[in-house]
Amino acid sequence: MVMVGEDIPRKLSSVTKFDCYPGVDESDDEDDEMDVMGQSFDIHSDIDFGIHRQRSTTAQRLEKMDQDRKKTNRIKHIKWEWNPVVLTDDERAGLFERKNFRQTEKDICLKKHSLLSDQLEKCPNLPQNPFAEYAKYDGNAQIGVPTRKYGIFLTMLEPDERNYPMHVIVLAQAKVQDLIGLICWKCSLKYGQHKLKDSVDHYGLYIAEDDGDVDCDFPCLDPRETVGKFGFNYLALVECLKKEEDSKSLEREETELVLSQESWLKPKLQQQENDDLVRMQGHMIAMEAPLYQSYRVYIINRVRAKTEIHLGISGEKVEIDPVIQQKVSAKFWNRQKAVSYDMDSIAACDLTDTKSSSRSTFRLVYHHSGGSSEQAESLQHHTDLASYKHHDFEADHRTAEEIVQKINHILELRSSVRRREYLALRERKSHRKRSFHLGPR
Amino acid sequence: MYLFDTCQNIFLNAGYQHIRMYDLTSSNPNPVINYEGVSKNVTGVGFQEDGKWMYTGGEDCSARIWDLRSRNLQCQRIFQVSAPVNCVCLHPNQAELVVGDQSGVIHLWDLKTDHNEQLIPEAEASIQDIAVDPEGSYMAAVSNRGHCYIWSLTGGVGEEPIKLNPKLKIVAHKRYALKCKFSPDSTLLVTTSADQTARIWKTSDFTLLQELRHEAQRWVWDAAFSADSQYILTASSDGVARLWNVETGAVEREYNGHQKAVTSLAFRDEIIRE
Repeated sequence: MVMVGEDIPRKLSSVTKFDCYPGVDESDDEDDEMDVMGQSFDIHSDIDFGIHRQRSTTAQRLEKMDQDRKKTNRIKHIKWEWNPVVLTDDERAGLFERKNFRQTEKDICLKKHSLLSDQLEKCPNLPQNPFAEYAKYDGNAQIGVPTRKYGIFLTMLEPDERNYPMHVIVLAQAKVQDLIGLICWKCSLKYGQHKLKDSVDHYGLYIAEDDGDVDCDFPCLDPRETVGKFGFNYLALVECLKKEEDSKSLEREETELVLSQESWLKPKLQQQENDDLVRMQGHMIAMEAPLYQSYRVYIINRVRAKTEIHLGISGEKVEIDPVIQQKVSAKFWNRQKAVSYDMDSIAACDLTDTKSSSRSTFRLVYHHSGGSSEQAESLQHHTDLASYKHHDFEADHRTAEEIVQKINHILELRSSVRRREYLALRERKSHRKRSFHLGPR
Repeated sequence: MYLFDTCQNIFLNAGYQHIRMYDLTSSNPNPVINYEGVSKNVTGVGFQEDGKWMYTGGEDCSARIWDLRSRNLQCQRIFQVSAPVNCVCLHPNQAELVVGDQSGVIHLWDLKTDHNEQLIPEAEASIQDIAVDPEGSYMAAVSNRGHCYIWSLTGGVGEEPIKLNPKLKIVAHKRYALKCKFSPDSTLLVTTSADQTARIWKTSDFTLLQELRHEAQRWVWDAAFSADSQYILTASSDGVARLWNVETGAVEREYNGHQKAVTSLAFRDEIIRE
């Protein structure tokens, strides 16, 4: 339909860029009138009636009827008349005169330019509003469909813009996610798209006070829930810093993917990282070495018999405790007494044999002194290797390695006299007689 | 069924048993005038160009003229046919009304003399819509079988009666045709259909110029040209109204917001320079 008679261009120019729907806000005042069908009479929101005392359903119904009557009174009703005045021929000729429509024929040949084309040319590449699909959840123009009205505080706006809530009417059957989309749609029309992220996933709806205080004690409304389930008057749209759990795991997957891609692209970098990791792990073991730890291993006695013992290692001492064994056989073989060696008397600990059957043996060398009183004396003696004795143990590979590593870390940390002496002695021995080998390796 | 009035800032909405008139200059969401008397669906509505009267067509098997001017309803007229009226179209001479009905009859009603004549382009088909181009050179009618009939028109000025000469039958669509409209410059004709397309035909030889198809588009219920005939708007069952560039056939804009099918549209545009 082509219209003439009004200066639309002038009107349009006075309309600001984002005032796409003038009149939407103004009509809010008449909402309670429009909601006649939408809301039942006995349910009403507090904001509408808060200042009045509660009235009976009948009184409210009467008021609604009164409003309806007033509304109908304003409408002019024209009923079809079957017997109108018979027109005279002159009147009829005047009313139904044949116009000469061919007069304007020549004008039509010219190339014309319409207001629509003009507007389109001024804005050729309108950015796609990602929230356009949510416009359909707007309850403003719906009749006979249950709707919910909310005051929404937009926390991402400038402080002076977010003093007042934006009123949003949404279809009651819409999901919370749809409501978020609708809010974003309305917000982008009013304040521009640049204030918003491009997806509803970035936002959550929180319960809010009527002054705009966001109630952070409650989690945001579940985006998959139906709007109609909630009865709040005010909500706040908040930009979520942390994403939903599922999106988080997705994100992690993505970073993992990126990492693995990088390692494939840059093996050198990955190698470096692995080295660092190994080094760091070594540090950790060294730091934890003085902490007490007990291992269950076998001690090998002189007749090559194995007895299960607890080997307790701490920064201070090494303890050998027999595992309590029952039965008769234990009487013969369980000769192992509980002994404890001060860490200062430990000279060395090395792997001696790595069997193929996943078992390893290791030797613990300690300084043997007759008694604590002799200790000082023996220190001065600088005696030969004979004063050093050892225990042999057997354990599975990993345990053996761990124990050896742990003890060596401790020894390194302490650097006791006995150890230095033992190492020096051993070195001297190996110089003197190459083939002689007392200590392990 | 919607319509903008040319000179009175009035918007019309016609539907079941009602024709409601809204004042566009106010923010009043309620109609200012309610016309009563059509017992069934109102299927067509339009204004005489000076706003003297309004015409309607309804499923109550009648076309009516409503006086818009004053309190005394001087020129109420009624034209009754034997089948529900699907469409009404006013000839640009403002004195003859073309009425299409469900039984497939096209009635040409001379408002001044009450003389009328009938055409039946296709037996047992329903006439869905009729259009006459602004120059008064052609009349087009579409049927529920997707056919489009073209007549060339002569006369209609002064005392000379309108003569209809059958010109062409186009198999425009595979399914229901729903609307047909000429562009303001009379060079184009658009037909819309249940086959999810709208098609633009050149009136010079009635060959296809453009097919307006979109993957999301469903039944195309209505269409309207821009004042310069460069763009076209369509209304579809997918709840979206689309603005198309006639020359390229590309969608320029999409208008979202309807929950359900968009079945009718009225577009107001104007020429700003020539």
